[in-house]
This record gives sequence, structure tokens and C-alpha cells, in this order.
Amino acid sequence: MFELRKGVFIDELKNVTIKIGEIAEEEEEWEPAGPTLEPGITDLRKWDHRLLERYEPFYAPVQDFCNLCTMGPCDLSFNKKGACGIDLKTAKARLVTIACCIGASAHTAHARHLVDHLIEEFGEDLPIDLGGEVNVEAPVTRTVVGIKPKTLGDLRKALGWAEKEIVKVLHSAHIGNEESPIDYESKALHVSMADHVGMEIADIAQIVAFGFPKAKPDTDLVSTGFGIVDVKKPVIVVVGHNVMYSRPIIDYLERQGKIDEFEIAGLCCTAHDMTRYNSKAKIFGPITYQLRVIRAGLPDVLVSDEQCIRADLVDACSKMGIPLIATSDAAARGLPDVSGWEVREIVDALVSGKLKGVFLPVPEKVGEVAPLVARAVFERNKDRKYRFFANDEELKAEISKCTQCMSCVFTCPHNLRIDQGMALAQKTGDFSKLAVLEEQCLACGKCEQACPRGIRIVNVIMRSNFEKLYSKTGKTRVGRGPIQDTEIRKVGQPIVFGQIPGVIAAVGCINFPDEMKSIVEILEEFLKRKYIVVTSGCHAMDIGMIKDEEGKTLYEKYPGNFDAGCIVNVGSCVSNAHISGAAIKIANIFAMRPLRGNYAEIADYILNRVGAVGFSWGPYSHKAASIATGFNRLGVPVVVGPHGMKYRRAYIGKPWKKEKWWVHDVKTGQKVFIEPAPDSLLVAVETKEEAIVQLARLCIRPNDTAMGRQIKLTHYIELSKKYYGDLPDDWHLYVRSEADLPLKMREELLKILEEQHGWRIDWEKKKIIGGPIRGYDAGFNPTIVDEVFARYRR
Amino acid sequence: MIGKEEKFLPAKRYNIADVQVSREATAVKPAVVANLIKKAENPVLITGGVLLKEPKLVEIAVKFYEKGIPVIATAGSSKPLIEKGVKPLFKTYTLHQITQFLLDEDFKINGKKVDLVVYLGFLPYYLSRMLSALKHFSDIKTIAIDEFYHPHASFSFTNLTKDRELHYAMLEEVLSKL
Repeated sequence: MFELRKGVFIDELKNVTIKIGEIAEEEEEWEPAGPTLEPGITDLRKWDHRLLERYEPFYAPVQDFCNLCTMGPCDLSFNKKGACGIDLKTAKARLVTIACCIGASAHTAHARHLVDHLIEEFGEDLPIDLGGEVNVEAPVTRTVVGIKPKTLGDLRKALGWAEKEIVKVLHSAHIGNEESPIDYESKALHVSMADHVGMEIADIAQIVAFGFPKAKPDTDLVSTGFGIVDVKKPVIVVVGHNVMYSRPIIDYLERQGKIDEFEIAGLCCTAHDMTRYNSKAKIFGPITYQLRVIRAGLPDVLVSDEQCIRADLVDACSKMGIPLIATSDAAARGLPDVSGWEVREIVDALVSGKLKGVFLPVPEKVGEVAPLVARAVFERNKDRKYRFFANDEELKAEISKCTQCMSCVFTCPHNLRIDQGMALAQKTGDFSKLAVLEEQCLACGKCEQACPRGIRIVNVIMRSNFEKLYSKTGKTRVGRGPIQDTEIRKVGQPIVFGQIPGVIAAVGCINFPDEMKSIVEILEEFLKRKYIVVTSGCHAMDIGMIKDEEGKTLYEKYPGNFDAGCIVNVGSCVSNAHISGAAIKIANIFAMRPLRGNYAEIADYILNRVGAVGFSWGPYSHKAASIATGFNRLGVPVVVGPHGMKYRRAYIGKPWKKEKWWVHDVKTGQKVFIEPAPDSLLVAVETKEEAIVQLARLCIRPNDTAMGRQIKLTHYIELSKKYYGDLPDDWHLYVRSEADLPLKMREELLKILEEQHGWRIDWEKKKIIGGPIRGYDAGFNPTIVDEVFARYRR
Repeated sequence: MIGKEEKFLPAKRYNIADVQVSREATAVKPAVVANLIKKAENPVLITGGVLLKEPKLVEIAVKFYEKGIPVIATAGSSKPLIEKGVKPLFKTYTLHQITQFLLDEDFKINGKKVDLVVYLGFLPYYLSRMLSALKHFSDIKTIAIDEFYHPHASFSFTNLTKDRELHYAMLEEVLSKL
């Protein structure tokens, strides 16, 4: 650094440039700072350990070995130690931490791309305005980082914090660090909290800069599904998660007045964000629709950006004669960088086939190139669409190659019985068994890699169910972004008291164990029962494909408000932060809890009072791991489908260990033993029946009022009887007084409590006089944070 | 009755990517399964969601119950079982939760620690992870009697996916020898 010494004056300096960097402004004291402003890697360790004491980590290794360094491979089976001294449990905790780092990095890098690009385009003073109904604009960022961002430029500070923490946590995964799985879990929780900050920044930035809907419940309905596009128009398909690169396509076509001459449809979250930008865009479907759409020859050009996109797009597209434009530096795909080329040169190279694809990380050029390429390719070959096979003879010839060797079945993620479908088709020409497979097929293509005869199995399955696949179209309500403060004011109390029995947040990928319609069956059970259902990402678009007998999707049957019996689509993956944000807003707007640097108190409030449960029926990505783990740190339990086991770690409490279930009661100053509610923070289910019952039981919270508990228990018991054929095993644990019992069953249940559980009942008054874990107290004020207890007890 | 050695298919991992397994399940015949159950001090049968789609497995589970093997029903499999008179020890908890409980030294069923678990009717990839947890972190013996060979179990049927009738016959043989 140049220092002004005595005797040197500014006007004497020659050829010196003086740069003034960021002027450090003192953060506005909008709220007194809590104990964990911009928390470091161990600042919330005590909170994590308190959670993990109750919700003990569970490890289910996929492999018995560790191969991460050159001292290995090490056999860690039966919890043996490897060359570095790490045991199997700790190694698995490290692996989950790494997965969460990847997930958090994906969203945060996405945010960084967006914020830097948007500041360049709109300036750093662009105000953060999420509409008149949203004053608490960034609840996660306010709570964690402690800032109240007013402009795009302000988002950089929060982003800087998230990036720093991700690097620090990733560092801890290096060989020779943590010895305790619990401390790795704490780091996984930490980096996943950073993930929610990253998501929030990304979505706020794109909402304010791109003019996405601002917390509007009744956004447009957009076409969704395989058969949505008019094949008589050129089709531009975008795939990935960062709409920044494909947005200019719409701008270009609007400027040219040609938007109605093209079809623009998306795969995965870019599709959501395209429709948030312009509801003329359409949604093909989730990641599992990539090969379906490409092999059907639907796109005339394909634009890829980042995350959850297939790693073989160049190969898949070139086989179908579809030019590919890769845009994100996260996935350059071995393609030549044509950033410096003229638009005409790029178009010529792609249309002529000289290049299978290009790497073009310049959004404005993508906007121009994609339509020009699509038009030319379309004009050249109009009749190639919807052809998994040229004709039925070709299909039959393909099927005839199968020897039922079972290689595909053993490789398939769902172990689908492809062999049986092929055998029936060979013998009788009946494709029905193959057709059924399409409903569950991920179109991952692993079966084709395993097949010794080289059968195009994905194409066979798709073609066999073509009519149904093509007609699986519906409407998705465009992602609305945040939840309004006014909505929180309305539902905050009924959620905390339990009259609204719960919030079910269905988010994540599509590695469903069942047919796609199962997600709708599960969620409708809760919508009919007046739970609030929130959704995003791939779950949200699958819901838009499944229609009832009257041809309506859930979005057309239930309103888009954040209220009982409504379904809210917040938007893409990064919009998930509005769901964690809504939980935080309940603590802040309804309960007046301060946010700034006050994470543990807010999470403790949510754990004990807000009956929200995350649900990922088909978790698949690393991002899903960090999203779920971030919810867990915030005190929100998450239920995952059976493939979620492959994350290898869960957080499951032991309800029979009474000493684990306690809180401080601020009102009485006592340590109170409580019912195990919720009894798991992350748990996998096997069937949709199990998902429904688990979701209902995990909505129960210690703070429920008698009325609230009665409503929650009513649903839990009804659902258990409906799907399990009996009362739940643990319903009595949640009964504090007779007022908690479902009204219609009160007498019957009192009798069971007396006869089977030894409780004492005053039959004259129909009152419980002995037996519950604790009695009901309307002033009960639970916390598991010592400092919160000490502060509010004073 | 299944007796001929040649009727059994070789034990093949259902997921050929699942290659790094330090200790593979011993592939067993029905008679061995029956002996293991008979020798166990406190065995349980855990049933899974496939029972909702395969009535024959419900029938098999009922017979196990009638032979005195306690049943833990997961994933909604309790419903068809209760309809047929079974009283499961648990029906609310997921296999995930039950496995977490089993891993705890203090978890007892009928006052005793469980020493043998028999699994029937699970999605293979879901069960595989649970078997792995018990293999590494407990001394409980596990037997998988589904149609897929399960390398992480202590003992497992071989792959029977090609011949459902053979699978059913093997299950019946286990029951007949209990």
C-alpha cells in the first residue's frame, strides 16, 4: 500500500491512480443485533448439538470403503478406522457435509452470477421492492447475516458471507480434520443455512430485476407437460436452473414481434423462471423429461445452463440433429467458446452442422442466436418430431432383440421389470406392460448402458405409452415468489396455535418411488383437510401435469394463497428460501421475535411452534440435500421418499427415551418433559400411504393449544385408520388433557387410555386425572435454548 | 417343496454398481432361514410397502405371525395384515425409524433385545440401506427373504426375480419348517 509520508503532497504525485474501494458504511441499526450476526462455522454449534442430542444422526452407508485420498482405499466396515483415522460414521457425516457444500455452492454461485450480471445491467442501486405486501423482504438474510437489503448492491454483502462460510465448511472436509460425526453434522447444518441465504439472494435479485411476480397469489396458469407445444412452430427448449441466459430469447422475440411464431418451453427450474418472466413460455417437465423431449425430436434448438442437466446433452442432441447452445461456465461441455463470434457465424456453424454445439456464455447473443437457429432447423426438417421410432416395425425389431437377461432390471434405479414388458410384447404384441413402466421411468438411460444387445430401452418405453405421455398435459400456476406479510398476519396465529393443522412444503426432485400422480394424491389429502400446501421446483411442475377426472390440476382446484386449503407455487429451486422465509416471518411478524443475528431463537421458536414439514417425495440432487438440511437447522422436519436413503444420513429421535424430550418452560421456569413432537427431523418413507401419515404426525408441536392439538390429532388418527387400518401406536403420547382428544372419538379414546395405558379417568366429568407426560397449560412457553430461557425468564 | 440345489440361481447383486461390499450376505436356502429363526432368542419379522401390491406376501406374513413370529408392519403394510387378524408390534413407524431404534442397545421388544430380523416386502434400494446400517453398527443378524439378493444382509435369498413361483415356494418352505 502507498503511504503518504511527511513532506509528500498529492499535487506532487505523478502517474499515480488513486482508487477508492467500497466505502464502509455502518450497518443501519434497524434492530438490535442478536448473538450470531454473520455467524462463523461454530457460532451455532451449541444449537446444532442440542438438536442432534434429540434427533440422533443415523448412517446407512452405500459403500463400505473410503476412496477419497491416496492412502486408501480403506475398508471402514463395521465402523473401522481408515488410514487417516476416520471411522465409518464420521466418514459418512463428512460425505453428507460435502454433498451439502455442493448444493449450497450451486445456489450461491447461481446467486453470484445473477447479482453481478444484474448490477452490470441495472446498476447496484436498483431497489429491492417485492411489492406493497412484503416489507420483510429477506427474512433469511435478515436473520442470518443481519442486513436489511435495500438495493441489488446490498445483496453482495450477504453473498460474500455465504461464499466465505461454504469455503470454510468445505475446508473441514479435507483429510485429517473433524473426528466427530456430530461436528461434521453441525457443519452440514451450517453450510445448508448458508444455502438458504444463497437461494434467497438469487430469487430476490431475479424478482426485482426481471419483474417476476411479487407475492401475487393468482398468477397466470401456464401449459405443462410433454404434449404442450405446437409442432408447426419452431421450438426453443431451455434446460437448467439459471434463467439469466435464456431470458434474452424472449426479449429478442418480443422486440421482433415474433414471440407468437415460436414455442419456448423449458425443462427443470429454468422453465419455472421463464414462465415467471413471461407466461407465454411453457413447462415441458422435470429433469426426467430431458431424454423424453430430446429423443422425441421436439426441440429445434436446445439451450442449456447449469445444475441438474444431463451430462450427455451434446451426445443426445447431436443424435437427433438438434443444435446445442451451452451457456453457463458450470457446464461448457467441451464445446468451442464462440463468445467473440458474430451472431451470423454462430448460426451458420450450428445450422450447417459444422458444430454440434457451442459454448456461448453471452446472454444477449444467446437471445438472438437461439431463435435464428430454431427457425432454420425447423424449416429444414418439419416432420421429424415425435419420433421415438420411425415406425412400428422398427419398434418391434428393437423389442425382438431382448433376451430377458435382467441386466436392465438390476441396473434400473427402480428395478422396473423391463424384462416382463419386453417378453409380453414379443409374445403377443401387447405393449401394455411396457407402457405402465413409462409412468415411473426416470428416463435416466442406465438400462441402455447395461443392455448387452444395445436396445434403446428408453425409446421403447416412451413409444409404448406415447398416447398417454402426449396427453399428460395440464396447467401450472406461475411461481409467485415470497409470501406476503399480510398473509402471515392472517395465518400466523392459527398455525402457531394449531387450528391450521400444518404447512406441507413439497419441494425437490422427481426420483419418485411411484407413478407421478402419487405426488398429487398425497398433497390433495392435505388440501382437502385444510392444511397449507407450498411447492416449488420439479414437484411444482409435476403437479401441473396431473389432472383429475374433470381435467383439472390442483392449481385449478385450489387457490394460490398462503392459507388453509390452498396451494402455493413459490417458483424454482431458489424460491425455496421463501418457504423457510415464511416460517421465519411467522416468528417475526406474528410473535414479534427479533430476527437480526438471532438464528437459534428463531429456529427454536419454529421447532416448538410452527407445524411446518418439508416433503421431498423424489429427492435426487445435492441441492435437495442442502435444502432439506437447511430446513432442519431451522427446526423444520423433512420427510423424504425412499430414494432419500441414499443421502446416507437422517436425523431420527427415539420417542421411547423419555429423558431426551424436554424443554425449559419460560412461564414456570421449570424443565418440563414433553411429548416427542416432532420425533424426527429427517426421515425416509417407503410408500405414499406412509408419507401421508408421517407428514400428519410430524406437524404436531409442543405449543399447540388444546383446540389445535385436537385438530391435529383428529387428522393424524383419521389418516392412520384410513391408511394403516388402526389407531397410531403413539397417539396417546400427544394427549395432555381430554380437550386434546378428537371430539367424535373422545369417549372411545378415554376408554383405551384407561384400559390399555393405565391412565386414570374421572368418568363422571369425563376428565383425565392421571397418565399424560404433562398436563396442558395455556401459558406454556417452551424453548430448548438456554440463553432464550434466561433472557425471557428475567 | 424346494430341495434341489440346481434350482437356486447364483447370488447376484441386484445393483451391479454396489460393488464395494466388505462382507457379502450368505445366500441361503429356505431350510437355513427356518433354522436361523428357530435358533434366535428374539426374532421379529418386519414387513414393507410391497405387501400393499402383492397379496401373496400378506398371506406369507400372516403365516409367520401364526407361527409365533412377532410382526412389525411399516409403510402401511399393517392395513392388510390387521384385516387378517395380525396384531403388529408397531405400525406407525417407518423402517427408517425402526432401524434407528434397533441400533440402540436399550431398545427392547418383549423385554429383550432383538437378535434376528427377517425382512419381507420392501423396495430393494430402501431395504439395502437399512441392512447396511445394521451390518456396520450392530450385532443383529438380518435375513432378507425378498426376491432380490441383498449383499448387506447377514443372510439372503438369491435373486429370484425371474421366477416368482419359486420365490413363493421358498417362502412357503421356510414356514413349513418353522
